[in-house]
Amino acid sequence: MEKPELRYVFEFIPKLLSSLHTTLLIVAASMALGLAIGVLVALPRLYRVPVLQRLSQLYVSFFRGTPILILLFLIYYGLPELLKLVHIDVTRTPVLVFVILTYALHSAAYISEAVRAAVEAVDRGQTEAAYAIGMTGFQAFVRVVLPQALAVSVPVLANQVIANLKDTSLAFSLGVMEMTGKAQTLVAATRHFIEAYVSLAAIYFVISLILQKLFQIAERRLLKYEGPENAEPSLPFKERRRRRLFGSSAMRLPWKEARADEA
Amino acid sequence: MKLDGAFIVEAFVRLLGAIPTTLLITFVSVACGFVIGTAAALLRIYRVPVLHRLASAYVTFIRGTPMLTHLFLIYFGLPYVVDGLAELLGLGFRSASIPMIGFAYLSFSITAGAYLSEVVRSGMLAVSRGQLEAAYSLGMTTPQALRRIVFPQALAASLPNLSNSVIGMLHGSTLAFTVSVVDINAKAQIVASTNWKFFESYLAAALIYWGLTIAIERMCGRIERRIGAYNRGGVA
Repeated sequence: MEKPELRYVFEFIPKLLSSLHTTLLIVAASMALGLAIGVLVALPRLYRVPVLQRLSQLYVSFFRGTPILILLFLIYYGLPELLKLVHIDVTRTPVLVFVILTYALHSAAYISEAVRAAVEAVDRGQTEAAYAIGMTGFQAFVRVVLPQALAVSVPVLANQVIANLKDTSLAFSLGVMEMTGKAQTLVAATRHFIEAYVSLAAIYFVISLILQKLFQIAERRLLKYEGPENAEPSLPFKERRRRRLFGSSAMRLPWKEARADEA
Repeated sequence: MKLDGAFIVEAFVRLLGAIPTTLLITFVSVACGFVIGTAAALLRIYRVPVLHRLASAYVTFIRGTPMLTHLFLIYFGLPYVVDGLAELLGLGFRSASIPMIGFAYLSFSITAGAYLSEVVRSGMLAVSRGQLEAAYSLGMTTPQALRRIVFPQALAASLPNLSNSVIGMLHGSTLAFTVSVVDINAKAQIVASTNWKFFESYLAAALIYWGLTIAIERMCGRIERRIGAYNRGGVA
């Protein structure tokens, strides 16, 4: 085998970036669709609708209990057959649509759980107050509960977006030309395996870092209504600088310092 | 075309034979990943100089890249490293003698290690500081206190996350087909390739994975109740 050379990594990165838009399209479209389906799926369980509640449970259990790779094949091969029964022909539909649909259904299962937990985290008094000023059930949910619930669930949704981004690397198995698919064609053309996959990993890594930062900003904005009591306590300059440089995830010694949150 | 019910059953039975491979990959990667993860978590919690930066970088990088790229990097990168070392040291060992499943074990362990290190870390942070102080006041050394006091409680606190990670690795093991390991997913492809009934075959595979997932959830729920028994309130 040839010696890996760094210059190929730099050569491959722009080539891979040329199919970045497909990857991002899958992520964005499936998250948007998944969010809508996820909220819909969560509703029967939140309002304890008989029968539908069971169906929603079954849906979540199945889509969370089956690997995404299996789901991809299942929907790609199964959906056309099912739709044929009602005389809809989808044989000419691009593969990308099936891929987006699969990721949407998959993330909807996770999102519905997140929405459910978040709605239950919103104080019951909020709904009661909304009813007291004469809102209908729908208005109370859409105007009062949902915005607060979404703010609470931002960290979970962010994780889901990043998980989705990483899962898109499986779409190549149906022949979609996203970044991983592109990397494989580069490998087939040049035989520089290591360089191609190093550049691929680097791109995924940078994108997930960017997404993570963006969601942190979004979360801070969405939680602004909570007021200064939830704001981060002011920190000494050295600590602030350290956090700016290394992120707040770098840890304090948990057992050797008094914990601020217990005080 | 009609849904071939008989073939779903046939595929289901044939796929059962591949369950051990899938479970073995899952088990090995979670077990090795747990060791790697605990080491990384301890390095980060105790902020061991230099090493804790390395541990953080490892966790961040692995969690920021798809599992598939880890598998490919190990699959194509490891032979290069192994052959280079073997030549350098004059050993007779060559990368061609590494079995395919070895690459899957190694790569998935590295993946699981990063995710499990976060699980272990959050579990250990959930144990209150007083527990460790009480252990010190009884004259335990730090390793003793960690092993006897902190780890058992941390394990109980992190079981739900742990079960999610195990399920994640079970689902991730479907990638093994890319390095020609015949797990349930690869078997489903093989079974379907004889008569092109992909839908039926993957439906059977989905049912098996679903069943395994529910079984793991149930099992962890039961263990959680047992392990968390010390934590009950009440008088009886």
